Amino acid sequence: MKSLAVARYTIVEMSRRRLLIVFFAIGAVGIAGLGILLKAFSSAFVGNVRVSGPGDFEGPTPEQLTRLTELSFVNDLIAVLGIFALLIAFAIGMTAIYHDLESGSIVGIFSKPVSRLEFAVGKVVAAAVGMIVVVGLLGVEARLVMYLFGGGLEDALWWETLAAVANAVTLMLIVLALSAWVNNIVAAIIAFIYNGAAGIVVMLHQQMTNGGVLADNQVLHVGLTILYWLVPHALISSAPREIAHQELEILNSTAPGGANFDQAFSGIPGPSGAADIIWWAFVVAVLFGLVYLAVRRRQV
Amino acid sequence: MAAVVSVKDLRKRYRRRDPLAVDGVSFEVEAGQAFGLLGPNGAGKTSIVKMIAGLIRPDGGELAIFGAPPGDPAARTQLGFAPEDPDFPKFLRASEVLDYFARLLGVDEDDRKRRIPETLAFAGLDGEKRQIRQYSKGMKQRLGIAQAILGRPKLLILDEPTADLDPLGRRDVRALIERLKGSGVAILLNSHLLSEVELVCDTVAIMAKGRVLKEGTMSEVVPQGSNLEDVFVQLVEANQPPKDHMPTFITDKGPTA
Repeated sequence: MKSLAVARYTIVEMSRRRLLIVFFAIGAVGIAGLGILLKAFSSAFVGNVRVSGPGDFEGPTPEQLTRLTELSFVNDLIAVLGIFALLIAFAIGMTAIYHDLESGSIVGIFSKPVSRLEFAVGKVVAAAVGMIVVVGLLGVEARLVMYLFGGGLEDALWWETLAAVANAVTLMLIVLALSAWVNNIVAAIIAFIYNGAAGIVVMLHQQMTNGGVLADNQVLHVGLTILYWLVPHALISSAPREIAHQELEILNSTAPGGANFDQAFSGIPGPSGAADIIWWAFVVAVLFGLVYLAVRRRQV
Repeated sequence: MAAVVSVKDLRKRYRRRDPLAVDGVSFEVEAGQAFGLLGPNGAGKTSIVKMIAGLIRPDGGELAIFGAPPGDPAARTQLGFAPEDPDFPKFLRASEVLDYFARLLGVDEDDRKRRIPETLAFAGLDGEKRQIRQYSKGMKQRLGIAQAILGRPKLLILDEPTADLDPLGRRDVRALIERLKGSGVAILLNSHLLSEVELVCDTVAIMAKGRVLKEGTMSEVVPQGSNLEDVFVQLVEANQPPKDHMPTFITDKGPTA
């Protein structure tokens, strides 16, 4: 119950902070703008374009071009959602605990009969709810824009929204834990660098497992494998593959002699499996432990 | 009678190279007693009250409130703490802060509905719709005292409670202390305002550099014909090297900048 009180009033505070509202507004305007611009572009140009090439090569039909533009639109939506989910993770992570510590309001809270665990649970629950609500609303808006524009990948968009929230929660927990130890700007910078480094490790590991150049070097192989299991793995929905699959189908059908794009397709990461989701849950549990430890050690 | 607060040989050092902020302090506060903790800036008073409130950990000694360690949630339910220079979540309103803290204290809904408006009225914040970030220091101080009494504490710790209050606010706090003392609440008052301490406290401890220099009832500490301020100044000055406090430039003859 005490965790709920902490969560409730942290959410009230979050809802009144300008930073979160500004990020949400920019995201909402960005998504709407993206949809309207692409709709205007495709209405004005794509329907009238006819592509042809040498010999018997016939480029995509206007319908296929429209479809390719739609797919590109969904691809951009997914990218925008991912970026805003990370920005919101920083906005929430940098403020949810740090502002209580920095302002001194934590003194009043910790002098009440609330344990540090209850406090940490309340803060993390509030942060997660805030993240889900804001990114969820952006997802709903993206879905509405897709009504206007089309795309045919609505389910994939929902899964991608979920993946974006899950990945942002990981980053948010890192910022939350760090902000209980150090200044929130420093916490955000460290988390940003760590997140980037983790992304590179996961990408290199994927290249290695796909039989890329790194696969031949045993030392790198072992090193990367160890590093891979030390960093959070971003969850991926089926959307990138579905989009690529549909794009390649169109391009395959129009290419002279039916060119083979399978090599390019294999380079696109597939949806996360059960092992990835379990690893994500484990990482979240560890990061929550770090948040609690940071709060528990804190003298105010 | 069992002591509400029991402090024995308490020690605290913030950094390894720093001197002890609290150095072997011992005292007890009983129910219905107002205990004044006095000392110059940096004497260690706030460190002591923060250790009693369970906000910082002691490095040594024994500390108990209601016979339990300060971290014990049951003991903290009976504690009200008004910190020095209080602050609150700045995007909340006073009524929301009190509701938040009442929930942390485990006050049920019916009681919250009754206590919060009364507490706001006592603090002169009833009808106040602004968020905390728009409050003056005095308003925050009144809210600090309000949240401290919200849970009907058996032990009330007031750390410089009147520093930012106007004379009417100070009078209200004095009246509150008298009323609570009369109903058996133990008060631990940490203040620079010696005249105020002299008015409300039964027992005092004068501290400097983390140590208690003198402790006892008001009549034991302040001899007849003297006052608390004289005793305080004599004791504290005797424990620090004499120095000329006045900057020399203020009496320089020359152009003023």
